[in-house]
Formats: sequence, C-alpha cells, structure tokens
Amino acid sequence: MEQIGKQVRLPFRRAFQIALSGIRIRFGRSVVTVSGVVLGIAFLMSNLTGQLIKKSIAEERDQRNTVNLMLSLIKAEIGEVAGRQIAVSTFGQLSPVEQLLLTQLKATAIVRDGPEAGLRIVLGDQPQVPVTLASLTAGMSQSVVIDSLATRAYAAGDTAAPVRRELFFGKESEDQLAKEAQLAQTEKFRNWWIVTISLLVTVFGVANALLMSVTERFREIGTMKCLGALSSFIRRLFLIESSLIGLAGSIVGVIVGALLPLLAYGFAYRFALVFGTLSYGWLLVYAVAAAVTGTLLAVLAAIYPAWFASRMVPASALRSTV
Amino acid sequence: MNPLSTRLDELLATAGDSAKGSHVIRAVDVKKIYKMGDSETHALRGVTLDVRRGEYMSIMGPSGSGKSTFFNMIGGLDKPTAGKVYIDQVDIAQLDPYELAWLRCRKVGYIFQMFNLIQVMSCIENVMLPMSFAGKDSEEARDRALEILEMVGLKERALHKPAEMSGGQQQRVAIARALANSPDILLADEPTGNLDLKTGEEIIELFRKLRDDLGVTIITATHDLKMLKASDRIVWIDDGRLARICTPAEANIQVEDVH
Repeated sequence: MEQIGKQVRLPFRRAFQIALSGIRIRFGRSVVTVSGVVLGIAFLMSNLTGQLIKKSIAEERDQRNTVNLMLSLIKAEIGEVAGRQIAVSTFGQLSPVEQLLLTQLKATAIVRDGPEAGLRIVLGDQPQVPVTLASLTAGMSQSVVIDSLATRAYAAGDTAAPVRRELFFGKESEDQLAKEAQLAQTEKFRNWWIVTISLLVTVFGVANALLMSVTERFREIGTMKCLGALSSFIRRLFLIESSLIGLAGSIVGVIVGALLPLLAYGFAYRFALVFGTLSYGWLLVYAVAAAVTGTLLAVLAAIYPAWFASRMVPASALRSTV
Repeated sequence: MNPLSTRLDELLATAGDSAKGSHVIRAVDVKKIYKMGDSETHALRGVTLDVRRGEYMSIMGPSGSGKSTFFNMIGGLDKPTAGKVYIDQVDIAQLDPYELAWLRCRKVGYIFQMFNLIQVMSCIENVMLPMSFAGKDSEEARDRALEILEMVGLKERALHKPAEMSGGQQQRVAIARALANSPDILLADEPTGNLDLKTGEEIIELFRKLRDDLGVTIITATHDLKMLKASDRIVWIDDGRLARICTPAEANIQVEDVH
C-alpha cells in the first residue's frame, strides 16, 4: 500500500525512453513530422539571418562612404594625404567610423604631433573639451582644425588666435532617412507576416501528424492504460515526443536557415565581406531564439493530440479490429 | 501516509474485514445503459455473479449479448450505470481515475486477443512496463521480469522484439506482462482467438498451471471449446442477462467432435 504514491509519478527517464524508442521505430513518420518543423524554423532563421547580413553589409558600406567623404575633405584642405604629417587629438569614445578613419590615415599618412603637421583632427564623442582651439594648433605650421563633432564646445579664451575650424558633415538629409526607415519598416512587416503564417502552418502540420499517430496507436495507448498508466503519463509521453521532434527539427532548421542566406549573399557580394562584417553574437542569439521557438511550437502543437490520447478509454485496447 | 492509499484502506475496511474473502469479484444486479442521443441501449439488464478466488471461469455469449460490457465491468475498465461491482471487496464505482489506474495496475492482469505487446519494446521491457507504472525500481523489476519470463518459458528470448516472435510466444509474453505485479485476477479476452490449435492448447495449459501454482483467478471471454472444457465454470450471457452457469461436464462439451 505504501507504494501507491509512487505510481502517480512514473520516472521521467522511463517516459523519455519510451518516447524516444517510439520515434525511432516510427522513423518514417517522425521524419515527415520533423521536416515540417525544419521548414518553418529554416524560414524563420533565414529571414533573421538575411536581415542580419543585409544590416551588416549596409552598415559597413555606410561607414566606408562616410570615411571616404572625410578623407576627401582632408584632401581638399591639405592636398594629397599620403606621406603627410597629421596631428590627431581624441576626446572620449571613438565611433566605428572614426576608428576606420584613423586606421586609413595611419595606413597612408604619418599621424604624429609636431611643427611639421599642417592639420589637426579632433575625434571622439566628448561634447565639451577642456582645451582651447588655439592650444590645439599651437606650434603647427597651419592652424587648421577638423572636428568630427559639429557641436563640440571648446574652452573659452585665446579667441585672437587664428583658427579655422572645418566640420565633418555628409549625413543624408532627415527626409531621406525617414523615407528609408519607412520602406524598411514596410518590408520588415511583410517579412514577419509571412514568417508568422509559415510558423502557423508548421504548428498545424505537427498537430495533424501527431493526431494521426495517436489514432494509429490507440491500441497501444489503451494497453498502457489497462496496465495501469495514468492519463497524465500518456499526456507526458506525447509532450516529450513532440518536444524531441521540435528540438531535432529546430536544430536542422536553424542550420539550414542560417547557411542558405549566408551562401546566397556570399555569392551575390563577396564571401569575405559577408563573413567579415557579420555579427556572430547576434547570429547565435537568433539561432537560440529560433530553436527555442521551434521546440515551443512543437509542444504547443502537441497539446490537443496529447489530451486526445490521454482521454482514450482502456477498453479500446480490447477491440480486435480496426 | 499517502492520501490515496489511506482512502483505499478505508474502502477495504468498510467492505468487510475479510479482505481475502472467498469471492474475488462480486457483481450485484449490474446494469449498463449506453445513451446515443435519444435512444438507449441496454447492454446489461441486471447481472449478479460471484467469482471465487482461484477459479478459472469462462464467459460465453453471442456478439451483442453484453458479454464484452460485462467483461470490461468486472475488469475495472468500465463502470456500471446501476448495481455494484466489487473487485477484491472494493466498489469500483467509488474509485477516481487514480485509484482505478492503481487497481488495473495491481489487481488485474489483462490478456488480449491481439496480444497488444508494445511493438517498440523488447519482451523484458514489455514485462517491466506495468512494474514501472507501479513505481518499482528497474533493478528489482528486471529480476522479477526474468523470473516470470522463465515461468512462461521465454527467458532466453527476453531481448527479442515482439515482431520477431510467433503468435504463441507473443501471447506468452503478454501473459508474463499480465503477471508482472502479481495480480489476483487474470482477465483474458479471446486469448486463443489468434492462435492455432496447438499453441492455443499450450496457452490453456499455462493458464491451468498459473491457477494451480499461483492461485490466480482467471476469467476468459472465449468461444474456444478447449478453453471452455478446461475451465471450472462457464457463464452464458444473452441479451444482457445471465442465461446459464454450469460446469464443462454439465455443458457436455465434446471437443473431439469439433475437429
């Protein structure tokens, strides 16, 4: 009598084994069910990866364009940059664009302070700097300062010093930006709409396949109930089975869905560009999110079939024909 | 103390102190009505029957007689619309799904016409399944499963899958599975229906042995004359009523005439 309580909680390990061998023995059917998840999750993942690649490439191109613009501004001021001495002051954090500019300058010009320098470039995001413009140009042959921040405030004083202050610009007009943002928004909405539909199709596909396998297995379920299985055990069996199907399908779907756009963009642009600019951290986040989504959707799809199975009466095992 | 076991203890106590009474199943004026929309089907119209402990009983009846309904009822698979069914002194109508599952797990062993072995599991896993439902740990269950398989003569095939075995062997595995939790009652639905004569006889012989050695009560629904002849009592059910109870001798079954 003292063991009655134990019957209520059948070991999870055992249920897991039964579910797993169930998938193995009905491999053909399981593959079909899994491929439903694979398709849905591959579509979701390819959408996410595609957006990530597009964003990375666009960002990279934007930065390169801005740097080129800055370089031509410098060129207009001091002539050919190659071999010239340029002084650089940085205040605060450098943006990726400024870093790229600095790298490009260092590659051709000599970045060093001194009387030979004909130009000082001020970089960084600090809005107020404690030095005067005059002190920045002191000892230089020409008093030209190029600043990356249009609104940067310098310390007062030395106003008499002959200073020319050029500013970087080149940002597109706000109108243009707003228009592009709206276009991107529309495309994003359309994409998500299609992804949602495809995921719904996945859920119904998996639910249908599981319902079929429940009706196929009514005798097995009835037998288990005759042998003393609780409804909760039957429910758990199907939920475990579907989460395994969901997990397997999601993993394959994530791999396929990530590789396809990477290859497509790689062939369309350059592989070095695509793989060089890609944010792998975000790719991993998306992969995990897509896998979790796929598994959860498979479990969601199994709720009705599992409930349906658990309601089967034990006497159905006695029926000799179907 | 577990509330469920306490409740079963109470039920046993109220049912009378002789928990090991001479009657393992008592059906008292059992009626079953199936409702389909407005029409009612009277599957059982009041059946009263006591099954003695250690008895080998056969139930007969034409299809649609209510035989299957009665069979399910005394096996705890269905509840009566009216009347009482006591399995080992416990009124099954009072049991909730948990307690019914417990009863099916511990008190009754089921044997099916189509064997109903779980195809994805090996023989020994099939035999161990009711034990894991009963919460027995796998080490202990494994030894016990091997012991029972040896008893039915299939120890060396313990790791085979049901599909690799003959019908008679599968049925013997199914009998081993039914015996897993040492039930008081074995309930067999046409156990020889899918077997040839010789293997059928082997199964009948096994049933006899189980009754004599383990004292198990065996109830079969069958039309197999050899099975009827081997049983202690034969019960006829017709049109939802108990038509006749007799011994094989009284029924005058002539097996030789049949084949």
